[in-house]
Order: sequence, then C-alpha cells, then structure tokens
Amino acid sequence: MKNSQWFHVVGAAAVTVGMAMNAPVALADGDSDLLVVAKASDPQTLDPAQTMDNNDWTVTYPLYQRLVAYDVSEDGKGLTSVVGELASKWSASDDGTVWTFDLASGNAFSDGTAVDAAAVEYSFNRLMDLGRGPSEAFPGGMKVEATGDMQVTFTLEQPFAPFLYTLANNGAGVVNPAVESKGDDHGTEWLSANSAGSGAYMLTGWERGQSLVLEPNPNYGGATPEIEKIRVDIIAEAAARRLKLEAGDVHIAESLPVDQLDALGSKDGIEVQNYPSLKVTYLYLNNKVAPLDNVDVRRAISAAVDYQGIIDGILDGNGVQMHGPIPEGMWGQNKNATQYSYDLTSAKKALDVAGGASEEISFLYSDRDPLWEPIAIATQAYLSQLGLNVKLEKLANATMRERFDSGEFGIATGNWSPDFADPYMFTNYWFDSNRHGLAGNRSWYSNDKVDGLLQQAVVSSDTAERTALYGELQEIVTDEAAYVYLFQKDYRIAVRDDVEGFVFNPMLEDIFNFGGMSLSD
Amino acid sequence: MSDATVSVNPIKRALSRVDWGYLWYQVMKSPLTLGGGAVVLTVLFLVIFAPVFATHDPNAIDLRARLAAPSWDHFFGTDEVGRDLYSRILYGGRQSVAVGFFVVLVAGFIGTFVGAFAGLIGGRVDVVIMRLMDVVLSVPSLVLIMALAAALGPSLINAAIAIALVRIPVYVRISRGQTLLIREMSFVTAAETFKASKLHILRWHILPNILSPVMVQATLDLGSTILLASALSFIGLGAQQPTAEWGAMVATGRNYILDQWWYSAFPGFAILITATAFNLLGDGIRDILDPKQKAR
Repeated sequence: MKNSQWFHVVGAAAVTVGMAMNAPVALADGDSDLLVVAKASDPQTLDPAQTMDNNDWTVTYPLYQRLVAYDVSEDGKGLTSVVGELASKWSASDDGTVWTFDLASGNAFSDGTAVDAAAVEYSFNRLMDLGRGPSEAFPGGMKVEATGDMQVTFTLEQPFAPFLYTLANNGAGVVNPAVESKGDDHGTEWLSANSAGSGAYMLTGWERGQSLVLEPNPNYGGATPEIEKIRVDIIAEAAARRLKLEAGDVHIAESLPVDQLDALGSKDGIEVQNYPSLKVTYLYLNNKVAPLDNVDVRRAISAAVDYQGIIDGILDGNGVQMHGPIPEGMWGQNKNATQYSYDLTSAKKALDVAGGASEEISFLYSDRDPLWEPIAIATQAYLSQLGLNVKLEKLANATMRERFDSGEFGIATGNWSPDFADPYMFTNYWFDSNRHGLAGNRSWYSNDKVDGLLQQAVVSSDTAERTALYGELQEIVTDEAAYVYLFQKDYRIAVRDDVEGFVFNPMLEDIFNFGGMSLSD
Repeated sequence: MSDATVSVNPIKRALSRVDWGYLWYQVMKSPLTLGGGAVVLTVLFLVIFAPVFATHDPNAIDLRARLAAPSWDHFFGTDEVGRDLYSRILYGGRQSVAVGFFVVLVAGFIGTFVGAFAGLIGGRVDVVIMRLMDVVLSVPSLVLIMALAAALGPSLINAAIAIALVRIPVYVRISRGQTLLIREMSFVTAAETFKASKLHILRWHILPNILSPVMVQATLDLGSTILLASALSFIGLGAQQPTAEWGAMVATGRNYILDQWWYSAFPGFAILITATAFNLLGDGIRDILDPKQKAR
C-alpha cells in the first residue's frame, strides 16, 4: 500500500480522537500575571462605533471608558444603576432634553493625551456620522457639544427615557480623536484592529483566529489593574476549551454547552458560576421573505416548536420559555400576551389558513453558541411535521451576520441581551421598522401601529404609561409571531478558582471587568 | 469477422480475456485482499440494506434522550438531539460509499477518454490538455478540492463534484501514458494502414488495452475518496445537517468527546474500517492486474 493512503487512514483516526490544539503555547500555568480567556470565535471588529456583538465587546469594553458605568454593589454584584466613569457629575433639564456632563480630570488615552470634552464630542460625532449599528442606541438628531474644556452638553430633539443608560453602552466608548488621521472614514479600518481608548487596558496584539493580547494602559486614570496581561484565545471547539480550562492553560472558558458545564462543576480548581440573566435565545423569522411574510405561516411555526422539549432536552431544564419579547426580570413584561405552546393541531390549522407553504426555507446558524445547532436540527424536524421544507445552513458567524443585514435568509438563530435595564432593548430594537437588519429588527418586521407605539413609549418618561404602551405592543407582536420566542436562561461560566473579583452584570454579557479582577497565587 | 462480433462491447471483450480461475487463485493467495474484499462486501451489504438493519429513523429526534450511552435501545448511543447513532452510521455509509463510486466513475470515465484522446491525437491538442492537467496537479489537491467545494457551496454532491474534478488529471495521465505505448503497437499501425478512423482505433484498440491500469487506479481511489468526502464533511464543506454522514458526525461529536466518546468513536471506526478495506482490496487488485507495479 502506498504510504500516503496509510497516512490518510491514520489521519482519520487521529482526527476522531484528536482536538485542534492550535492555540498559542500555554503560559498561564503558574503565572499569576497572565489571565487567559477562551472564546469560541474571533471578534469581527474592535471599533466601538461599528461592533454590535457581545462577542467583540469582551475585548473592546475594557479598552475604552464611557461617561458613566454600571455600579457594583457592596457585596460585588452588578447593578442596573450607573455611576460616573469619565463624568464626575451630570444634570438634566426638566424636560429631559438637555444633559450636561462635567468630566473628571486625570483620565488619559493610552498615548498620553488627556481625555477632555473635545474628545467626547469627537467620539459621539464620529459614532453618529458613521451611523452603523451602535449609533442606533442613541436618538436621531442628538447634538453633542463641548461647552467647556471639561464639560459636554447633549441636546436631544425629544426626551429619550433610557438616555443615561445608553451612555454605558460599548458604543458610547470615548475614542482618541487622533484616529481621525489614521485613514478615511474616521479611521474605521485602523480602529477595527487597534485600540485608541482610555480604558484600563490597551490592545497590544491580535493574531487573527488565534489570540488577542491586552496590556495595562500606562496612562489609565483609575486604579492600576493588577493583572499585567490578558490574553483572549480563540478556540473553536467546546471540548478543546474545556480541556484547556481543566489543564489550567485557560482561566475562563466561554460558551460551553450545558453538558460540559455539568461535568466541569465537580472538577478540582474549577468553579461553574451561575448568574440570573436577561439573555434570551430566539429565532428570527424573516418577515420579508415568502412564505414567512404570511402571518399564519409564522403562527404555524410558532406553534410547531416544542419549547418544553428544547428546554428539558437541550438545556437540561436550565431555562424558561419566553413570554413574548420581554424577559422575566425586566419590567414591562405583559403576561396577557400570547404565549405559543407545542400544539401540532393548531399549527396545522394555521398553516391551512395560510394555504400551505411550499417554498424552501433557509435556516442559518453558526458555531458561536453550541446550543444553536441542536436547536436548528430540532426546529427542522418540528417543521417537517408540518410539511415545511427547511434547509439548514451552518455558516461562519460573521457571514451569518452579513446575511441578517442583507435579509437573505428565512429563519436564523439568535441570542440577545440588554445593554441597559429598559424594555426598550427588547421592543424598539426588535420591532422598529427603521432598525431592519443587524441593527436589531432581524426579523425585518414592519407594522405602522407598532412603530407608533414604540415612538410614543420612547418620548414618555412615565413608567406606567410606557408599561401600558409596551403591553399593547407585546400583544400585537406575539399575535403576529414576529419571532419565535424560545427561552431565557441563566448565564453560566466556567472559571478557574484562582480568578478573583469578577463582577457579572446582566447588561454586560460576555464582558469582564478585567481592571478589577486579580489572580491569587 | 462476422457482424455479430463487431457489436460486442469492447469492455466485455476485454473482460472475456480475463482468466477468472487464475484471478481467484491470486485472491485466495493473499489473505489481506480477501479480508479487504470481505469487509467491503459486508459494508456494501449493510449500507444498501440500511433500512432493513436500522433500528430507528436516522433523522428522528428525541431531545429528552439526547447523548444517551450505548444500550440495547441504541446500540451506539444517541447524538446531541437524540438521534440513534447506529442507524445514522448505516445510512451515513450510503453517502460515503455513493460519493466514492460517483467520484471514481465520473473522474475515471472522463479522465480515461480525455487521456486516450490526447495520447492518440498528439500534437498541440495533447500539449494543451496535458499542460492543463499539470496545472491542476501542481496545486495541492486537498486545497483545490476545498476551494472548489467552497465555491460550489457546501453540500455533499458539490463536494463529490469537486473531488471528481480534481481527480480527473490522474486518470488522464495514466490513460495517456498507456495510449502512447499502445499507439505504437503493430495492431494499431495495421489499423491505421487500413484507414481506420481515430474513433474506431480509440474504441477498438486503445480503450480495451488501457483499462487494467485505470481499474487499478479506480479501486485504489475508492478508499481515499471516501476519506476525502468525510474530511470535507468534517470541515463543514460536505454533507449538511440533518444528513447522516460519517465525517460530519465525527466533527459534531468532537464537541462531546470528553463525556460522550461514542458520538465520535463509532463513525470514526466506520471510516477507518471502510477506508482500510477499500484500500486493501485496491492493493490486492493492483498486485493481480499489474504485477509489475507490485510494491514489494
């Protein structure tokens, strides 16, 4: 036999047993100055004015500072209220349209330039001028002006209830105006792969698909971080992430499937941490594409999914079915809205009303979340019981997101977590017809009445009135089955027990407070 | 020569020259070939009659029984959505074996014709064809196959087409080399003297005489094609969910290998056994049909 063929055979066997151990040489063991985080996929861009993905924010959030930051309670829990970060104090006009922020002194970008009002003005103008996804968090027509060396004034066209909280978003990170000289389009290309912030850390290396390295910003205005080097390793296979965590080569392993977390919990030196979270998993149903443009087809699909089966099987019971778009624990949830349950008879009835559907429906998913593949396979099987023809397409995460933005898909898996504690995150983002695509309305849903309700709810600062408006909205969007509202589950992460000081905040999924964390010896 | 014999298929004529008794003697003499052949026959039997041997619908999900260990209900356990792995491996074999035969037939058929044609015509046509083939052969085949499969879009049939396209030059070279040899033989020159057309010569004199090295290559290719198809599915360019395919199963199983070894292990063994058996059989056939190449 020719050698090459033996090689193939042996290769196949090796692949069966082997793991892709292509990550950089392990340094973590015994080194108390290096923290290694393992995540499943590479960031797409590091420009805060462009990234719309928590997966990127793991890296970008600690690179930049914002005017305000989420507070931490005495006992180390993440709160939904904010405190000043770059701002020392702020005030709002009575009608809520003019906001004035005084900046604290002593903050500086990694190149040594001080953070002043001009930098804040520049950052927000850059964000709004680029007009990508992150700018959608801020009201249109917002004017930002440096009204002093260390004072910035925001003028809104109309009141915007969650305004203060949007300033703690990743997109509100203040960027060094020096990026302007790095290239056209406000230096977006350069900033996509570099950092220019005043955060606790700065980016010192990025080998695509392998790892990113963060080191402390020498000019950081806050307390000097304890950890001297952070490395984010990109390790696609869940099993490989887990092995590295067990071996001590990695301190924090993200996106592990439920089965792996359960097995890890009993291992020495590893702690599986559980946090109540507002993260939801749902399916986008492209409302612009046949047959999903027919409301009865969407209703049929919503009734054909075995929610409890998915929760009991794929999540081992660690989750609850969503009740409309707003998750449990967020104010404004309307318990009277329709909640679909697995009911093939009514699903078939709805499909009959629609007159059937013969078109092939594409279903996109990626490796980003290990739960997505089983969900996709299960959904395909459920929908085949209705005679619907679903074609699964497994894509790279970045490719999949491009398809969301261009609207070339039928169904797709998605996760969503709020950036601030306001139902706005689950309503205005998901249903506003101005936010079609990646910006948030990934079902490409359009309804004039809903648009009107969203508009009313934003300008009101009366919580009772907003609850009522959002309540009406939830009845419409559940009845029209704009999405398949799957489940909400706890945030679970596997961490080595020498990692101290991690604060989880449900507004900051996948984001670590590296600056406040440390490694015990 | 009577009219009746003229219509005899040249391949049949070539086969009729084979000394079956001697062939059988050779096979019996080589236990590895015999073993390989027996396993190949068993695999073919199992996958062709997969619906009979399968205990479950290969695509039927049961989320509450996901990742179950091997048991009497599920001989090889279940996967991440509770599908029966034993049944999926049987059905998955159909994909792998079908791709193997598809590639060998398509690449072998096209390659042999093109090669014989180039060798017979000679001149510029030959030069152009062979340089084209050299270009294809100069690119690492796996890279080219991956690029083609990605360009065609991920699916098993596209993967098979990509592999077939890249394997064609191998057959072109073999058949052209043989053709050059046979072209000079006296029976061909004799036919030319009688003004026989190129097509006639190709069909009646060249093809029957170059078949045995092509057959040897084809049998050797079966095993490696099955591996290649699995490899493409493994990296996501081949079979897509929910199609049962060995390479894809190994790939998904990787995520669960630490606690659910059976998910990757059984499809992995299926690939190992099948590819080895096809290769052993291919080696044996080569030794018999082409003793000069015997690798010992």
